[in-house]
Amino acid sequence: MKIIISNQSELPIYAQIREQLKEQMLNGRIPEGTTLPSIRQLAKETGVSVITTTRAYSELEAEGFIATMQGKGSVVLPTDNKLLREQYLLRIEEGLSTAIDTAKAMGMSREELTGIFHNLMDA
Amino acid sequence: MKVISYMKIDYMLTRQQLRIMLPIAIVAVLVGKGMDGMGVMVSCCYMLFVATLFSTAPFGACHRKNTGFLLMLPGTVTERVTGRFLYGLSYIVMTVIICLAGMGVYGLLGHEITRLSVGLFLCNVALSIVIVALEYLISYLFGEGKNNWQYLGNIVRIAPGMGMFFLFMFILGKADEEAYAMDRLVFLTEKIMSAGLVALAAALLIMALAVFICVKVIEKRDYA
Amino acid sequence: MELLEVKNLSKHYKSFDLMDISFTLPRGYIMGYVGPNGSGKTTTLNLITGIVKCSDGEVYIDGHTCKEDVKTYREQIGYVGDESYFPDNFTAKNIRLALKDFYTTFSEEKFNAFLQKWNLPEKKQVKDFSRGMKVMLMFASVLSRDTKLLILDEATNGLDPVMRMEILRLLQEYVMDGQRSVIFSTHILSDLEQIADYIYFIDQGRTILHDAKDEIIESFLLVKGESGAIPPALKRELIGLEENAYGFEAILPSGRAELLGNAFLVEKPNIDDIVIHFIKNRENGNRI
Repeated sequence: MKIIISNQSELPIYAQIREQLKEQMLNGRIPEGTTLPSIRQLAKETGVSVITTTRAYSELEAEGFIATMQGKGSVVLPTDNKLLREQYLLRIEEGLSTAIDTAKAMGMSREELTGIFHNLMDA
Repeated sequence: MKVISYMKIDYMLTRQQLRIMLPIAIVAVLVGKGMDGMGVMVSCCYMLFVATLFSTAPFGACHRKNTGFLLMLPGTVTERVTGRFLYGLSYIVMTVIICLAGMGVYGLLGHEITRLSVGLFLCNVALSIVIVALEYLISYLFGEGKNNWQYLGNIVRIAPGMGMFFLFMFILGKADEEAYAMDRLVFLTEKIMSAGLVALAAALLIMALAVFICVKVIEKRDYA
Repeated sequence: MELLEVKNLSKHYKSFDLMDISFTLPRGYIMGYVGPNGSGKTTTLNLITGIVKCSDGEVYIDGHTCKEDVKTYREQIGYVGDESYFPDNFTAKNIRLALKDFYTTFSEEKFNAFLQKWNLPEKKQVKDFSRGMKVMLMFASVLSRDTKLLILDEATNGLDPVMRMEILRLLQEYVMDGQRSVIFSTHILSDLEQIADYIYFIDQGRTILHDAKDEIIESFLLVKGESGAIPPALKRELIGLEENAYGFEAILPSGRAELLGNAFLVEKPNIDDIVIHFIKNRENGNRI
């Protein structure tokens, strides 16, 4: 398990923790059934406030990634692959949109852009 | 009760001073040596003067600025103030013990210790206690937490003890001159022991009263 | 019952008033007490420790007040101040003796272990200690007994980044068990940025903001842009507008984001930005 907090990121710290944990749960680096460190433990290790960490965990719980049981800590739930696929799709869309926006901004034609796309795919 | 603990704190604050008590005793002997007759009494007077001087040291050693630790200790104002007074008193007790030992030695060496001189000594002790009580009262009432106290504080610390020393030097001188010659002092000599004891008791009462006033004043004050 | 409850705390001085400070700090959390110099931070902390008596209001630590039982109250507190906390001529040995005499929960072994860990000499007088050594000695004296609340008054001032980091870790360890809390004042806000759960922000003795740190940060936006381009509707809402020849900077309540349009650069503020612009706002002649 790894968590890297960036102060430069526009993402709030709780969201950085949430996203990084989510990613690792989705790609299997944190397998299902793993017990996550306690909120206070994680807060201390990462040098982040307890409230911030609490928020990251409760959002993960709300999204169905973990379940917190009194006295037992937070356990990683099974993630279905659909969700994983959705996540990746979302990221692909984001990347492509950026490319399209940039192309539009400089007035590039659709053909030219798809040309670049095909070239890169073949490379 | 944390009274003794507070007294220990004051001893730690002023521990450098405790080390020069012995050299002071030697100086006291030298001061007394030159005088004949009541030489040992002069030494004792001098020691008491030094005791009044030294007993106010804790006020100089802790400024409000660097006593956060002491102010934050879990204890009541009464304990803190009583501890401080006890510190002053302990200096006098210590001095009395040294003086009595000195007188003993003096006596063993074959000199005569008159009732008059012991009585005077008791009065001197009583007066020292009163002076310490008053100095503490003044220090607590006007000194604590004020910046310009350093200079004024030194005067309060030295002047009364000095005055007392010269007063007793004068009395001792008079007594020395006249005690053997004149009969009229006989009456005084007989009463002086009990007078000394009464003075001592009165002095302790005055000190207790001073403690009481200081506690009341500090409890009313804005800061601890 | 919360660990620390401060109710309508006020203190009147000739030239300064601390007005109506109220907050609670639950067990297991860290609160940063921030404000510019002279804003009343130290006064508030002195009122909490009971060194200074309040003109009005109450402070409860685990349900106890200082007036009712000064010993129980102070045993619960660990205070770390600036460097002039110990008498000049005290040594670590003296301090150990005093702690042993006064505090029922003091552990000599723990104290000695801290001295060793931080290389603090036993017989050197405190006045010959470096700033960092003094701070660590204060921490040693506080952490070697059982306390419920740590009160830090500008404790990290003048320390190098490595030591500051170590202290922040100590504080986090302190609240780890979820039973003990920390309140600390500082004007080095980056120290608070990460570990503080709550922020209390005062200026000129008055409360400006008080909330969970994340909430405070999220409720404002840092806005930058060209000076001439601010529409009046937006200008009214900007807090602490700071203009120079080339541009402006201000903070804006997040709820007013719709006034922004696309013309401005919008960033996530840090606590520093928020504090600076609220003070600027007061200097600009606006009352919040």
